[in-house]
Amino acid sequence: MVKKGQTKTFARKFVPRIVKAALLVVVTYLPFYFLSAFIEPFQSFFPWYEPLTSIFAAVFIIFLVVGVFTSGTIYQYMFGVARALVTMIFFIYTLNGGIIALAVPIEEVTINIMVDLRVILAMLVLVCLLGIGKNVVQAIHFVAGKVEMKEL
Amino acid sequence: MRYAVRALGWATKILWILIIVFSATAVYSAMNVRISFGQPQAYLSSGFVVLSIPLFVNNSGFYDLSELNMTVDVMDSNGSLLSASSTFVALIPRSSSVDTAHNISINLDDDTSQVQFYLFNDTVFNLDMSLKVEFARAIPFQVSMNTTIPWGAPLYNFSVGQTSYNYLNLTHQEVIIPISFENHSPYFGVDGFMQVEIYNDNSEFLGSSVSGLNVPSHSSYEGQVEMIVDVSKITGSGEVHFYFETSTFSIGPVVMPYG
Repeated sequence: MVKKGQTKTFARKFVPRIVKAALLVVVTYLPFYFLSAFIEPFQSFFPWYEPLTSIFAAVFIIFLVVGVFTSGTIYQYMFGVARALVTMIFFIYTLNGGIIALAVPIEEVTINIMVDLRVILAMLVLVCLLGIGKNVVQAIHFVAGKVEMKEL
Repeated sequence: MRYAVRALGWATKILWILIIVFSATAVYSAMNVRISFGQPQAYLSSGFVVLSIPLFVNNSGFYDLSELNMTVDVMDSNGSLLSASSTFVALIPRSSSVDTAHNISINLDDDTSQVQFYLFNDTVFNLDMSLKVEFARAIPFQVSMNTTIPWGAPLYNFSVGQTSYNYLNLTHQEVIIPISFENHSPYFGVDGFMQVEIYNDNSEFLGSSVSGLNVPSHSSYEGQVEMIVDVSKITGSGEVHFYFETSTFSIGPVVMPYG
């Protein structure tokens, strides 16, 4: 009887989280998939992109899943900060610090292309910093709530 | 605290939307920008060979293109700068196009040994080209390339043949000097005059002559200059001084031995 109740509690607690995590994984993976498909014709110019994206997607999804499973604890926000940090590093690394330079050989001539994406990178980093800030504030709020509960 | 979290959440969402909308429209706009070059035209202007490259930019995207700057540096095979040119267009608003031309000019009306070298010898010029443009006033974009262009000398293989003499009288003789060259230039013909002065071994002036020249591109010239000289001054060898006055260049004296 007790075992049946425990199983019910476990199912009630974790099944929604598993479903939520699975949905989030699918939703998160879709942009990576489409971005990779979009980049594929230019793969030879960005040889570092594909393996890096796979590693980043894996790390991001792990943090996401762990964050979902630890929701309701302080670890949720820690993983949120870690996820935002990983995203920021990924953007900085993928965009090569904002300056993308390519050398395209056409017949006997090499054409050098340089795009300065520092403005976009700054916006992306700002978003990540806002994400970190939000998680930190949420963590403080969570801890403060816990302390208040204890005091009561 | 709750309001701060909510504000940060909204700020993050708004910024994400801005980034996604800007990135998507920027990519779409960039794909709708057409930059093309027309057939280069060469013409002559007061001693300069001007190579004019038509440049057409059609901006049918959502954002303005600004500070378009095209620069071309022409260098010889030793790396010496022959010409530096640039074309600047301050603004190409969205849904508009610009039709301009980039002019590269090389001074041939110069009396230096370097210019003489280009007039008499084929060579290869190195071209450093770069095109910079600022997209949406936020994303600078640059394309650059190095290439080479062959240079055809207008007076290639200029040579003086065997000098011959025609007896006129006891005091004077007619000197005949055969001259030949090939105009390898794809850009211009050699039209104008050639003045020839002849000197003996003691650097004494013997006589001079002026001949007309009309040698189109990729054709050769074979002719002779004739002049009457004082018999007493003839030494059998010496120097011939050439002065060229053409629509493209003025040069001289080009000194060549004879005899």
